[in-house]
Amino acid sequence: MKLVILGKGGQGVLFFSKILAQMALNEGRSVKATEIKGMAKKGGVVEVQMKIDEGLSPLIKRGEADLVILLSPDLEEYGKTFGQKILKFTEEEIKKAFEKVPQRLVNTYLLGVLLARHKIFDKKTALKVLDEENKKSFLKGYEDAEKNVQSQDGDFT
Amino acid sequence: MLKRLYLSGNEAIAYGLIEGGVRFLTGYPGTPSSEILPTAQKLKLRYKFKGFIDWAVNEKVALEMAFSASLCGVKSAVTMKQVGLNVAMDPFLNAAYVGPKASFVVVVADDPGPHSSQTEQDSRLAAYLAKVPVLDPSTVEEAYLFAKKALELSSEFEIPLMLRTTTRISHGKSDIVVSEEFPQEEFNPSFKENLKNWNIELQRLAATPKLRHLLHKRLNEKLDALAERNKPRFFYQGDILILTSGIVFSYLVELIEEHQLENKITLAKFDMPFPVKYQKFSEFKRVITLEETSPLLELFFDTEGRRNGLVPKEGELTPEVCEKIFSRLGLIPEKKSIAIPPLKRPSLCPGCGHRIGLFALKKVFGKKAIFCGDIGCYTLALNFGVTDTVFCMGASLSFATAIKKLFDEKEKQREVVGIIGDSTFLHSGIPPLIDAYHYRVPFLLIILDNETVGMTGNQKTPAHRVSYEGKPLNPVKIEKILEGLGLDFVKVVDPYDYKETLQVLKEAKEYLKISDKPCAVIMRHPCVYTREGLLNNPKRPVQILEEKCTGCKFCLSEFECPALYFDESSEKVCIDKTLCIDCGCCQFVCPKKAILEVKA
Ligand code: SF4
Ligand code: SF4
Ligand code: SF4
Repeated sequence: MKLVILGKGGQGVLFFSKILAQMALNEGRSVKATEIKGMAKKGGVVEVQMKIDEGLSPLIKRGEADLVILLSPDLEEYGKTFGQKILKFTEEEIKKAFEKVPQRLVNTYLLGVLLARHKIFDKKTALKVLDEENKKSFLKGYEDAEKNVQSQDGDFT
Repeated sequence: MLKRLYLSGNEAIAYGLIEGGVRFLTGYPGTPSSEILPTAQKLKLRYKFKGFIDWAVNEKVALEMAFSASLCGVKSAVTMKQVGLNVAMDPFLNAAYVGPKASFVVVVADDPGPHSSQTEQDSRLAAYLAKVPVLDPSTVEEAYLFAKKALELSSEFEIPLMLRTTTRISHGKSDIVVSEEFPQEEFNPSFKENLKNWNIELQRLAATPKLRHLLHKRLNEKLDALAERNKPRFFYQGDILILTSGIVFSYLVELIEEHQLENKITLAKFDMPFPVKYQKFSEFKRVITLEETSPLLELFFDTEGRRNGLVPKEGELTPEVCEKIFSRLGLIPEKKSIAIPPLKRPSLCPGCGHRIGLFALKKVFGKKAIFCGDIGCYTLALNFGVTDTVFCMGASLSFATAIKKLFDEKEKQREVVGIIGDSTFLHSGIPPLIDAYHYRVPFLLIILDNETVGMTGNQKTPAHRVSYEGKPLNPVKIEKILEGLGLDFVKVVDPYDYKETLQVLKEAKEYLKISDKPCAVIMRHPCVYTREGLLNNPKRPVQILEEKCTGCKFCLSEFECPALYFDESSEKVCIDKTLCIDCGCCQFVCPKKAILEVKA
């Protein structure tokens, strides 16, 4: 599986990549990843490419990612060079995340949304790598998104 | 005990070095090499072995310190980025002649691309120049294994070893098996213990040119012996032979398997691209070298590659580039390449003290002044017109000295400013300042002091009082250095205090008119990208009065805080609250007074 995670410094790109990697490792799968941070810190583009159970190098050729996870909507055009399947969080989802959980847990809430939409990992795997409060926030996101997925025509699955 | 860990290439190198017995490790931070040393510090805290692991003031000093530790019988290593090796070239070449006593490894991180460097230079060529064998890992796992192997070869052949890594290895991550065994080896530094044979030792440690010739001969013998043993590893069976080393090997394996070229291509992987023994590969139809970033194996084995235009002469050899080379060879059909849209250019963090300080500087000295910049976050001040040159570490002050001197000779009044960070100043800003003082060159020296090495991930500087182990250190005070040299205008300001900063800069401007010495303004404000920096930063939330904002975009082009953006619908500037840290600095910028502090 080839994943690309894109966002700006401070948005949790590294958090997402760490948790996804941990989940894969917990399942006994191998992980290769690479981080590219530009010169700027906060607000600069952060890019993670990750290969799970394949390849020798972490690099993904343009156009070949199985999923591009976008944390910053203005990077969409750039993200599309990696692959057509883009996951982005809707404004509504982000608003909801901020309403439902404290700011430091927003990322795990969104991780829940991600896994509900794309079953790249089992829910159980996620629960194993998260601590108690993160688990709760994750489940909230997961359940909220599941409700949504059912009501949509499923173009995200 | 074997353990599977998810490590970056740099962390893996630290594990390899420490497990291999390194007890003296130093270096100077530089992307992409900076995480090796802090990882080793963590291991030292965890396993409590004896030794020294901390930063040096620059790469030359780092290499000299580590090498002398080796001469005391302590396994040692030094880390730096590729341009850092340029700074350390003198001792690097010498180390090969003199030869270490205990293992001595120079870890150098190259940056093909480049992603965050001035050059794309290939440190393997520096190793060749210095006659130092070099290992070039292709994966994170090899980075770990080669760190250990480098130590072994170094002690066996009494020769320095270079471990060359690249951005993709150093910042790559992978699950690898490490032993996490840290032998409590005897830590027993010794030097000049045996006075009887000391004269013989001296022929090496303080060799005169005549003896250097002998040392050179001995070095060549060691290299020949190593080359004899250094064989490439072969993969696949085809009549096109590709020689390779480093991460490019990994890309090639993936591409060969993806396109099923196993019976078209043979890969020869050199774990150690220097020294090698010449051989003719006449059984193959074509012989090509794919390596980053300069021809080394290609020259040595006289193969196709960069010289016949098959391989691009600049840039990273990404999997896409390698794929293109395969199509050029007629192995696979040509693919349409995907155009990559440019990303927004980087800028200083929201609330960074450099921004408001340099804005004040521009205000007082005007855009006609000559701003000689340096290497650090503040390089980005070129976005808003307060940096005219960026060259190499310390060059701001050499440039300022020479440029000002030229105008003085011509009796032409020009204002010249050298802008340098605290860490860069200590690294290599002091020597040019000595010349500026000695030759009576009155320029303004701005030291941006955030008490950390900001750009590379906030490493400690000599201003710190306590080490990572909690041991006391002597803090180095930059103002004392300046005063000690003989500057009599040395002022320290917090650039967040905008009025005071303007005042001091105006005084400096007046002073320069009548003085024949450089004068210095130290702008001191902690980096807000660190946790403590952000926590202790003053909170001065602002708001933009919509009715007053004319949408002139002055604040965007002349100040460039990433938290300020132009709202197309209202045609006004707004604040992105997810990025804004409430530093309040933008209130001093708007000429229409539309940005106001919200008083509690
Ligand atoms: S990392 Fe620190 S010094 Fe560098 S731009 Fe950000 S706040 Fe400024
Ligand atoms: S905030 Fe001030 S400087 Fe910025 S666009 Fe509005 S009027 Fe111009
Ligand atoms: S207060 Fe102004 S200058 Fe400071 S971070 Fe916010 S928008 Fe940027």
